Order: sequence, then C-alpha cells, then structure tokens
Amino acid sequence: MANLHQFVPTFEPGAVGAHTVELQRLWRESGRGESEVFTEHVRGGFENENRSHLFTDYGTKRFPAGRDDVLVYQMAIGSVVADFVKGRREPLVLNHHNLTPVEYLERWEPTATWGVQWGQAQLRDLAGRSALAVAVSHYNAAQLRGVGYRQVEVAPLLIDVDAFDAQVEPEALDALTAAKAEGGTDWLFVGRLAANKCQHDVIKSFAMYRRVYDPGARLHLVGGAPADAYRAALEGLVSTLGLRGAVSFTGPVSTGALAAYYRTADVYVCLSEHEGFCAPLLEAMHHSVPVVALAAAAVPETVGDAGLLLAGKEPAMVAAAADRVVRDSAVRSALTAAGRRRVQDFGLARSRSRWLDVLAQAVPS
Amino acid sequence: MSPTDGRGAASDATGGTSHAPAIDHQKLLAEIDAEVQRKRESGDIPADLERELDLVFARFAPVDALEADFEQVLTRAEQATFIDVIAPVESSRPVVPIFKKVVRKVVGWYLRYVAQQTSAFAHAITRAVRLLGERVDVLEQASPVAAQRAAADGDVQPPSAPDLSHWAPTLARWLQATTGRVLHAEAGDGALLAALVEAGVDAYGVDPRPRPNVVNEVREDEAAVHLRALPDGALAAIVLSGCVDRMALGAQLQLADLVATKVAPGGTVIVLGTHPAAWAESHAPVHVDLSPGRPLHPETWQHLLAQRGMTESEIVAGPPDRAALAPVPKGDRVLNANIERLNALLFGPSSYALAAHRPE
Repeated sequence: MANLHQFVPTFEPGAVGAHTVELQRLWRESGRGESEVFTEHVRGGFENENRSHLFTDYGTKRFPAGRDDVLVYQMAIGSVVADFVKGRREPLVLNHHNLTPVEYLERWEPTATWGVQWGQAQLRDLAGRSALAVAVSHYNAAQLRGVGYRQVEVAPLLIDVDAFDAQVEPEALDALTAAKAEGGTDWLFVGRLAANKCQHDVIKSFAMYRRVYDPGARLHLVGGAPADAYRAALEGLVSTLGLRGAVSFTGPVSTGALAAYYRTADVYVCLSEHEGFCAPLLEAMHHSVPVVALAAAAVPETVGDAGLLLAGKEPAMVAAAADRVVRDSAVRSALTAAGRRRVQDFGLARSRSRWLDVLAQAVPS
Repeated sequence: MSPTDGRGAASDATGGTSHAPAIDHQKLLAEIDAEVQRKRESGDIPADLERELDLVFARFAPVDALEADFEQVLTRAEQATFIDVIAPVESSRPVVPIFKKVVRKVVGWYLRYVAQQTSAFAHAITRAVRLLGERVDVLEQASPVAAQRAAADGDVQPPSAPDLSHWAPTLARWLQATTGRVLHAEAGDGALLAALVEAGVDAYGVDPRPRPNVVNEVREDEAAVHLRALPDGALAAIVLSGCVDRMALGAQLQLADLVATKVAPGGTVIVLGTHPAAWAESHAPVHVDLSPGRPLHPETWQHLLAQRGMTESEIVAGPPDRAALAPVPKGDRVLNANIERLNALLFGPSSYALAAHRPE
C-alpha cells in the first residue's frame, strides 16, 4: 500500500482542480492506498466540500506522514507549497501544467509577473528533488527537460469528457437560439481574457469575417477577465470597430450556460499563442463544433488532425478558414467526426490507465 | 493514437466508426490561401484593412506593451495629443442615444475650447521630448561611455556564432560512454546539438539569442543563468562554446566554477573555443572579429579546470587554415620542418576543443 497525496497552490474549479480531483479518485479507486489533497487556498466552491487540508498539516499530529507516502505537486504558479514539498523527504512527482511566459504578463498584468517568475525558479529548484516529472503535453515536457528534469513522462489531463454533456441552461440556450434564428454565424472562444490567449486577434479576424463573408455574424468570448487593462483594450477595440452588438464578453459562466454556447456555435476559433494543453478545444470537439486554431505551443498536440491548424493568424486567412469550415459541409463533417474521435483519445478510462502506468515508476510496489 | 504521441484514434464518440472521409489538410489550407489571394486581388479584402485592424488595437494597448522603445512610446504620446470631443452615443437602450446626442451638441462648444488648448499643450510637450531625444542621440553617438554600453549590449546578444559542426565526431567520441543529460551552451543554430542527438547523446542546448521555436531542444537562456538554476551534479556533461569567446575574464572564471560544480562526478566538461592565435590570421572566421571578449588559450582552460579538480584533460586543435604553406615534395627535411614551424606561427589553429573529467 502506498498513499498518494497531492499538493496544489490553490484548489479551485478549473482544469487543474478537476484534474486533481480525478487523480485523487483514481488512486482511491485503484485500492493502492489513501489519497488526500493539501493546499494553501481553497475557493470557487471547493471550500464548501471539505475535501482538502491545509498543506502545513501534512506531517503533523493532525495528519501524520506515512512511511510509503508519495507526494504529487501540481505546478502552475509560484507558491509556498512548492517550498514545503521541496523540504519533505517523501518521493516527489511533479505534475507540470505550464507557466504563462512573463512577457505576456508584464505588458498587461505586471503585478502577476512576480508569481510566475517565482514559479519558474521553483520549477528549476524542484528538478533535483523530483523522482519523476509528468507533463500534460510534449510541449510542457520539453520545458521540463530544458530546466534539468531527467525522468519526464507525458500523461494527459484527467478530464471527464462525459461531464461536458452538462444539463444545458434553458435560459442561455433560448437566448442564443433566438439570436441565431435571425441569421448569422456564431463564433466561439472559451478562455480567460488574457494576452497570451490573443482574444484581440480573434476580434480582428472576426471583424474581417463580418466585412467579407457574413455581416450578421456574432462572436462569443466566454471567460473571466483577470486583467482589467486587457479587457478594457478588447472593449475599446470592439467599440472602435463598430462591433458592440456583435461581440459579447460573457464573463465566467456556469457549466450549463457553457454547454449552451457550445451547442449553438458554428465554429470555435483559437488564436492563442501559449497553451500548455487547452482543454476547451476538447470541449468544442466533443460538441461537434469545428475548430480553427493557430498551430502554437501545445495546441497542435491537443487538436491532432481534428481541426484546421493555421501557421499564422492574418485576419484574412483566419476569416477565410472559418468561412470554409462553416459553409463547406464535407469539410465540416470531416472535422467534426475527427473531433469526436480525438476526444476519445483523451477519454477518462484511457487517461486513467496511462496515469497508473506513469505513477508506477515513482510509487513503491 | 494516444494523446501522448499526438495522433488520432479510430472510433467516434458513439463507439462506432465515422463514415466522414478524412480531409487533406495541406490541400485545404492551400485552397483557402488561394481564395484569400483572389479576394485580395479583386479588392474584396481591402488592401489596408489588416493594417488598420492592427493600428486600432495598438491604440488601446498600454504604453507598457510597447517594448520600452522610445520612438514607439513617443509616437503613442503624439497620437494621444489629439483629443476627440465627439463622444460615442450608442446605447443598448432606445432613448439614450438621442439624449447623448443632445448633451454632446449642447456642451460641444465648451469641450472644443478646452480640448484645443489641451491638445496644443500636449503637442508642445511631445515636440520638446522629441527634440530632447534627438539631442540625446547625438550625445550618445559622440560619447565613449555610450560606445562601451553598446559593446556591452553586443555581449548580451552575440551577433554571430561560430560553425561548430566539424567538432561533432570528436565530441561524439568523448561523450559516447556518457549516460545522462548533456548541456550545450551556447548551441547557436543547434547544428552540433542535432549531430550529438543523432549520435545517441541525451543533449539539449541553451542560447541567449531569441529563437522562433522554443519547442525544440534549444531554449533561450544565458549559459551562466541556466547553470546557476540547476542542482549541483545535475549534468553528465557540459559543452561550452560561443560564450567562452565573448565573456570578460571574470565571467569566464565564474563559468569555470559553475561547470565544475554542476557536472556530475565522472562527468565531462568540454570547451570549444576560438584560439587567440586566430586574430593573427588573415583568413580568420567572421565571428573572430565580431567577438567582443577575450578568448583564453586551451592550456589556460586546462589550468583553470585542473584548479577546480578536473583531471585527464585532452586538447584537440581545430582544422588548419587552407592557406597554410605546403611542404616541398621530397624536399629537404630541415626545410620542411621549418615550413611546418612557419605554418604553426602564421596559420595556427583558429579553434580548439578541450575535454576534462571530474573524478568519480
């Protein structure tokens, strides 16, 4: 028996939080030992579910360390939790979710750069301490090797793709369907408003699309806005281009509302320059929304051959690509069928099996 | 395919096999590209529309997003001197636009009066800053301190990297028994690194020059910065090139300290350097003249590494200059020996490789 305990800087809903919960469930159901989550901050609703512990409780009378414990650190930002696990003696598995490059933050979110630089330093520090590093993409794996990690494995995010079929929120679906009934194509992008995700390029391409192909098209940008400056710039861009009625900034939405956006979208356009995995691409493919994406960072790995990958993001090219996948039924059918197949590659059963294989390298049998 | 190797699976989400035929992505992208070209030529895509879209967004980007470029920031300031008093009147509520139009018309005369004075003041300030910038440019060009600073900038961004590919067989021989990660700093265009990987060496590289693709095995980093971040004994071997030609003496001594601690016991440190004799040659490679630093003799590196506990060092001279004097066929032995000495003096090796080992 070996216990697998996870340490995460902030335990909250989202890709890393959902992955942490699934990994805990996997270990517990495997019957190989206990699995608990230790964190510094709990928020977003997870605090009400009583499923994590304060990280400093580990190794105390409150939560004694076991002789066969293995620790997993979920790396996504600088944190005192990383220093804590570095000081422990148990075998450590580092699960790397990528750090947003500082150059994107220092322009728009200068106050966030310190946390990322701290994370980068900690990532290098933990190289000698980790028995195993697990990256959620080959793109992330290359970064790990570049900072000195020797034993690096790739295993995908544990994502319950069946959960994408959340109960659709009727009000949201009704509103979107009513707008659609008046004609016009629906573009969709899901992700927090951040410079590395390049929503400004999506807006520019969308403006071109309305000018050249479909004057009645709508763009839905779904996601919260951690950086006021970037959101203000996007709103200024939309206003100046005369797109106020055509582009919606939804802010954070419920899973039911998100499902409604996917259900009514005609094309998912992703021009992000930096992604360590990009789970929304899988959500789009699961909902049979054809994907047009910039071939950057880990996006080509996640999309595979199930989306139209562009080498650049000139608005004219993006708009033409979107128009082609919307209007050409053969292309659309081929991409959506390939998308549904692609999602199965990341199905929970397959990913769980891969994770058990990978963890066997660090967990004493 | 598994997500870990980047390929697709065979069945669809319903568990059945999809009947939609696969598409040829390259052909499709070529068709889309051709359509864009047609629309550009026909005027359906206005010639300057993409540039206009860029300019519109640039207006809203913070000044901090302008890469700290003086000219760009000043241009932004000049653009901002124009104050638009025609405020937008759109609203999602039906009566509000009319109300806004009325307000705009009523207060327009007053706003124009204030805006004209504010614009004139801002324009005068930006004009003064531009004149000041021009005078600073003149001073910088004339100042020896500024010239030194420009040289230091060149030290950060080396303008040229030596061609190292001819060292691949030698390094493959030295590293053939190595097990573990091998760092090449600076890897330049990655040609030598690729040859080492091809030879089965688990190698990666760093180079301070910005690279378009960080996915490959060369990441953008300074050699010393990268080494400091690694745990002691983390690397099975370290190959140094480029930076050793460029660095000041103190920095090279610090680098020697670093490599001696970061290489694992039993590991190898290799230095690929430009030989100081290269400056005496008439046909020296371009990077010799562009190197702002002070390269060391191989024997000096041998000494420095020995001081830090490295042993069993070996030095290999680089390929001879093609302009060297040929020995006289069947000539006098003394004459040919003198020609050989003359070659060594006039056309000595322009580069060298040195390997030293850290004892187990």
